[in-house]
Amino acid sequence: MKNLRIGAILGALLMVAAACTSTPSAKEGGTLIVALPGDIVRTDTALTDDSNSSYVIQQVVEGLVGLEPGSTSKVVPVLAESYEMSADGLTYTFKLRSGVKFHDGTDFNADAVVFNYNRFINIPTELQDYTYYIGAVFGGYGETSNLESATAVDASTVAIKLKKPSSNFILTQTLPVFGIQSPTALVLGKGDNTESDVTKITGAQGGAGAMVGTGPFKFVKWTVGDSVEIEKNATYWDTAHLAHVDAIVFKAVAEEAQRVNGLAAGEIDLAQTIAPVDAATIAANKDLQLIDRGSSFNTFQISMNHNYAPVSNPKIREAIAYAIDYDYLIETFYAGAAVKATNWMPAGVLYAKDLNLPTYDVEKAKALIAESGETDLTIDFWYPNDVTRPYMPDPKGIFEAITANLEAVGFTIVPNNAPWRGGYLDDEYAGKYEMWLLGWTGDWAGPDNFLKTAFFGYVDGAPSTEFAYKNDALEAAMNAALAAGTEAEAKTQWELAQDLIRADMPTVPVANSKPQAAATINLKGFIGSAGLNEPLNLVWLDRP
Amino acid sequence: MMFRAAPVDPQIARSSRGLWGDAARRLRRNRPALVGLFCIALFALAAVLAPFISPFDPYEMNGSSLDAPSLTHLFGTDLLGRDIFSRVLYGAQISLFVGVGAVVLALIIGGVLGAIAGGFGGRIDGVIMRATDVFLSIPSILLAIGIVTALGRGMVQLMFAIAVSYAPTFARLLRGSLLALREADYVVAARTIGASRVRILVRHMLPNALTPLIVQATLVLATAIIDIAGLGFLGLGPADPRTPEWGTMLVDARRFMQTAPHIVVFIGGAIVISAIGFNLLGDGLRESLDPKLKR
Amino acid sequence: MGRYIVRRLIAAIPVLIGLSILLFAYIRILPGDPCVAILGQHRTPEACAALRANLGLDLPLWEQYLTYLGKTLSGDLGSSVVNSQPFITEFLTRFPGTIELTLGALIFSIGVGIPLGRLAARKVGGWADGLITGVSLFGVSIPVFVLGLALVVIFGVFLGWLPTQGRIDARARFDATSGILLIDTLFAGRLDLFVDVVRHLILPSIALGSIPLAIIARITRASVIEVANEDYVRTARSKGLKEKMVDNRHVMRNAWLPVTTVVGLQVGGLLGGAVLTETVFVWNGVGRWVVDAIENHDYPIVQSTILVFALIFLVVNLIVDVGYALLNPKIRYQ
Repeated sequence: MKNLRIGAILGALLMVAAACTSTPSAKEGGTLIVALPGDIVRTDTALTDDSNSSYVIQQVVEGLVGLEPGSTSKVVPVLAESYEMSADGLTYTFKLRSGVKFHDGTDFNADAVVFNYNRFINIPTELQDYTYYIGAVFGGYGETSNLESATAVDASTVAIKLKKPSSNFILTQTLPVFGIQSPTALVLGKGDNTESDVTKITGAQGGAGAMVGTGPFKFVKWTVGDSVEIEKNATYWDTAHLAHVDAIVFKAVAEEAQRVNGLAAGEIDLAQTIAPVDAATIAANKDLQLIDRGSSFNTFQISMNHNYAPVSNPKIREAIAYAIDYDYLIETFYAGAAVKATNWMPAGVLYAKDLNLPTYDVEKAKALIAESGETDLTIDFWYPNDVTRPYMPDPKGIFEAITANLEAVGFTIVPNNAPWRGGYLDDEYAGKYEMWLLGWTGDWAGPDNFLKTAFFGYVDGAPSTEFAYKNDALEAAMNAALAAGTEAEAKTQWELAQDLIRADMPTVPVANSKPQAAATINLKGFIGSAGLNEPLNLVWLDRP
Repeated sequence: MMFRAAPVDPQIARSSRGLWGDAARRLRRNRPALVGLFCIALFALAAVLAPFISPFDPYEMNGSSLDAPSLTHLFGTDLLGRDIFSRVLYGAQISLFVGVGAVVLALIIGGVLGAIAGGFGGRIDGVIMRATDVFLSIPSILLAIGIVTALGRGMVQLMFAIAVSYAPTFARLLRGSLLALREADYVVAARTIGASRVRILVRHMLPNALTPLIVQATLVLATAIIDIAGLGFLGLGPADPRTPEWGTMLVDARRFMQTAPHIVVFIGGAIVISAIGFNLLGDGLRESLDPKLKR
Repeated sequence: MGRYIVRRLIAAIPVLIGLSILLFAYIRILPGDPCVAILGQHRTPEACAALRANLGLDLPLWEQYLTYLGKTLSGDLGSSVVNSQPFITEFLTRFPGTIELTLGALIFSIGVGIPLGRLAARKVGGWADGLITGVSLFGVSIPVFVLGLALVVIFGVFLGWLPTQGRIDARARFDATSGILLIDTLFAGRLDLFVDVVRHLILPSIALGSIPLAIIARITRASVIEVANEDYVRTARSKGLKEKMVDNRHVMRNAWLPVTTVVGLQVGGLLGGAVLTETVFVWNGVGRWVVDAIENHDYPIVQSTILVFALIFLVVNLIVDVGYALLNPKIRYQ
């Protein structure tokens, strides 16, 4: 009897010892559950323009170049071992990694890269609505695309020729949209430009040929409206960065409170975005961690369309900028995780300078309104009623606060709202709104991404229907900056552009937010990025 | 709207002239109904007196964010620092107005259709009844969603959407009690004197057939506010977000269920108490008006 | 009996026609150009033309309606404008989730509602009656999204007894075959997962079932009281029969009828309530899907979901009525 008991104690001790020695291996395995704010939209990286799809696809499909984890601007080679630019700035030669295979077993090589870039150039018209970034980066398709050609120099070398120099080319190629997918899979999934109905491209709808890349994870299945499942790619080329977890399930959890509840109950390991109002709850829970993503990479602004009075009057726009209580907004709605905007782009972006934007000053606002000569101070003002955005965590509340600020200085606000995809985006873009809430999360850390692509660039040679903001000098400066041969010239032109915008105050930038993630305390190795390029193969679940 | 209350027995309508007097007497002896009446009186009072007894302007941001209840702010403040007590008082005004508006609209639509169907019978009756069958077969929240997506957002559209989902029940109830009255002695008598159909309907039948409708309307008032909240949760609420409407306020408050649960409790409490009030009163009315339950 | 069923089926035809006209009209009264309303910002002239042809928008109205009716009758309920998948296939992948949820709610509301109603009726005006009336009134007076979240915070987060969301532990990565997880897990021999699925069902079933629970409890109470006052029950009682015997033999057997009818009527409410409940509980079912469809302007999906829900409601109530007629021979010959 006594011996038995000693035996049992010894056995237990041995087990404890075994558990201790095996701790390092507890780093491997397990299924990671990630809560996203919404479902992905499509499974073909070229045909996506939303952050949920990008977040998932970047774990599966890789590009020639990428961003260093945590950074929004430091480019690192991924499928290219190295690259160089010709003296005239028109040809980029990429030396490709060898021995890399796509998830379907086919080889990654120069032909595969050429296949993908040819696809980017020749996207059929019907599909161009879904390839926003390809159009925005290359300025169009076919004849109007800035991509001249992609050619295989040899099996592991590709030359990409541009029509005119573009200082942002390499940076833009880090976007998940430009990921390289298996040509075999693209043909299989009808993603080879032969099918022009996006609903019939199975590779984009989670069917045959969906998401076949070279990344650390492989696509498993997409339960539309609910979840996406990916699993570890055991034969990943970058053996030093093999995924730790066996699989990841991305769940669409629209109800913010349920992300926090799921985390607290241990059903979710990582919530990609949480509501600022929940930050305190998470901080108070010792089983959870709040994750900061460093400096802000977005701009939230009060948008205006210059076809409508009184916002067509620059003095009125300036007055609005003085009427807003920025500190209050940041304290109340962002729980402090934001800074007052000093520019139309966040402070970290190349060439961004402090434009000395108005601060909260009711008297100044009233004086400007008096100077403006406008008598009808009624403004139609809109907000989206069914979403939150990283730069706008509580559209309804923010709208109420801004409305109160504006009424305090004498404006009459006509409040309106519409569902995000069910009217809001369409109508604001079509120029149907006088004033509305909108922002922009950066895609690449260049000034063009904010000032030109997102906001004030001309569309088809004319001011956008969205803002109806006409400033030919600005358009010229921005184009000159992009085509600039030297860094110094680009800098000069971008600084000029910023001054021109500041002088007109076409919209009122409010804040740059720092959306936070939250995770269980066991989640390790996560590197947050303000641009949401967060490789989850680095993450492991520390299980005691 | 999501769930229709059990329809009132049209038999209640079969009654004599002293019905209301009788009912009032019986209602006074019905304790739950008195509690219900008290709850409603409380809110009617809140609605009427809101401008006089509210300590603050319900739209004004005069406190700091999410203050706990205190003597200054009895129910605390919301995220924007507005006094929740004042908002609940003014909300009584708006929510009762919207609720009553929706139900009255439903009564009008349903009443007219029911009167035509029950009063004239025949083919028109068949058509109207099949139409109500169609509307009743659609889950009412989907019906309301359909109406709001088609007509756009706004208080009036919300009222209309809810009214349309209640109207068929009213139409059927009225028709049922009118049919039951057709063979009533005084109706037969009026018919033999040669009174016109419309006159019989309006003068003799309708006044006696309205009781089940009134009972049902009381019961349905309770759910109107909850239905508005449900639509608000789906992003189909009123156009002006500042409106201190209880449903919209509750949709906002749910985000603070863990950090400031008192907000949900106070706003939810207001809704629950008024809903219970209408339910108890409705039940009480049903029992007092039902001669079968005479003791 | 057969004739009764046939008569009921024939009576349903005009309702179905009315329903089809209403749903046909729905797509046409959406504000603005249906092409803009449905295709939104991602529209090209070609896509518009295809949509118009698909919906038959260029034909005269009556011809459009007949086309719609013909398609619907042949089982073609349209397809999603977002991913082109036929409505039926997409619906069927999500419907099992909604079936499990509504059945869970129904079982909860009947299983708890009827005993509560009987208990309350035992002593009218007693404390149990008051308490039950109060609790059930509370149940109908609180929006499902607040009740759902409150249940999650209490039982999922603070007490940690039950899962907060979803239909099954996502870590299990279980491959469903039929989609009805209660059955699939059993067939796969995964008793642990079966228990997990049941645990996931509890909170949403309570949230969704609270309103029918209240209604069922109240109608049970009312009909038990009414039956208890009938002569034959008094006779039975005066004969000296045991209270329990009277209850089971005479009271409940007759009180069942109105209760059954009300349960049938709750099915529509349950399907509608699933829209909110599924959203709160991150539940993969038709309700959450239809909310997504509304946000995505996928109106053909909204249209056909309403149609199918209405059909389910009509069929369930037909079954209830037939059952009612079987139980109560007086009805048949009316």
